[in-house]
Amino acid sequence: MRNDEPSVLRQLARLSTIGVSLVAATAIGLAIGYGLDRVLGTRPWLTLMFTLFGIAAGFLNLFRDVGMLGRGRR
Amino acid sequence: MTEAAGKTSGGKGFWIVLGILVVGNLGLSFFFAPRQVELQHAPVVQLPNFLVVLGKIHPALTVPGKWMPAHVTFTWLIMGILVVVGALGTRALRPVPGPLQNFVEVVIEWFYGLLDQMIGRQGRQFLPLIGTAGLFILTSNLLGNIPGFQPPTANWNTTVALAVTVFIWYNVAGIRKHGFLNYLKHFCGPIWWLAPIMFVIEFIGHLARPVSLSIRLFGNIFGEESVIVILISLAWLVMPYLIWLGIMLPLSLFTAIVQTFVFIMLSMVYIAGAVEVGHGEEHQ
Repeated sequence: MRNDEPSVLRQLARLSTIGVSLVAATAIGLAIGYGLDRVLGTRPWLTLMFTLFGIAAGFLNLFRDVGMLGRGRR
Repeated sequence: MTEAAGKTSGGKGFWIVLGILVVGNLGLSFFFAPRQVELQHAPVVQLPNFLVVLGKIHPALTVPGKWMPAHVTFTWLIMGILVVVGALGTRALRPVPGPLQNFVEVVIEWFYGLLDQMIGRQGRQFLPLIGTAGLFILTSNLLGNIPGFQPPTANWNTTVALAVTVFIWYNVAGIRKHGFLNYLKHFCGPIWWLAPIMFVIEFIGHLARPVSLSIRLFGNIFGEESVIVILISLAWLVMPYLIWLGIMLPLSLFTAIVQTFVFIMLSMVYIAGAVEVGHGEEHQ
């Protein structure tokens, strides 16, 4: 019964992740790629690849969180 | 227009009060303007930096400065408050609870209800993490509303510590529930040839969670704290003081509660996602 309607606050909690996590995922991908490049000496390639992975991860999180909109857990 | 103003109760009075305030404000500011007002808002509680001793063991451990960093001091203060309240509330348990025991029980029941709702049957084992994080953040945020107290959550180090704890805890919970390989398998997605890419993407997505958790809490509380510091440091202008009382204080009380709620709610969402991976991810 109480699981049917997610409260406004809970949706707010889910939705407030969207902006930051999109940016954070991109930044983390960039950081990982840059670090790996410095270690392995493959200058531009891993940075590019992991930045793209980071962007993809950000959008994956975005779509998951938006898909949760209007639908309660379970 | 005058009729409308006359009909609403105190319509004219409001403008008179506002006028008096503006005039008084201007007068006072001319009177006090030459005085130099410190922008610093020194914390009320300061401890001498006794951790200098650590620097003698290894130079990398040196804690700089004459005083303990404010966020460390206030973390200890809040720990003290929580420990004392918890100890007093559970010292003499009675079937008919006294006021303090009643309060503690209500808080714990609220956390239990939230955990049952969000995580399900296995939720109650996470009360130590969620309850501690929630109470610590709430106390800290609310303390920040008193001028002279700096909330530890306005410092990124504290929120990173909290978020990393949550991050490690939900991964450990997931691994304990499903086993190491099975837990990693949930990262790889349903299609086998996409698995290496999906794994990297999911991994980065998971790493983004503590970052976004910590930055959100830190950013909100730090911004609120900065505005309060500036308003209070301009308190001799009278008007900023009124703005603080009338606008900033209700707003920051609201932020304090909402940010606490958001933090523990997201921690619970993450834990639920890790503990019941099989259900949560496939249906979406």
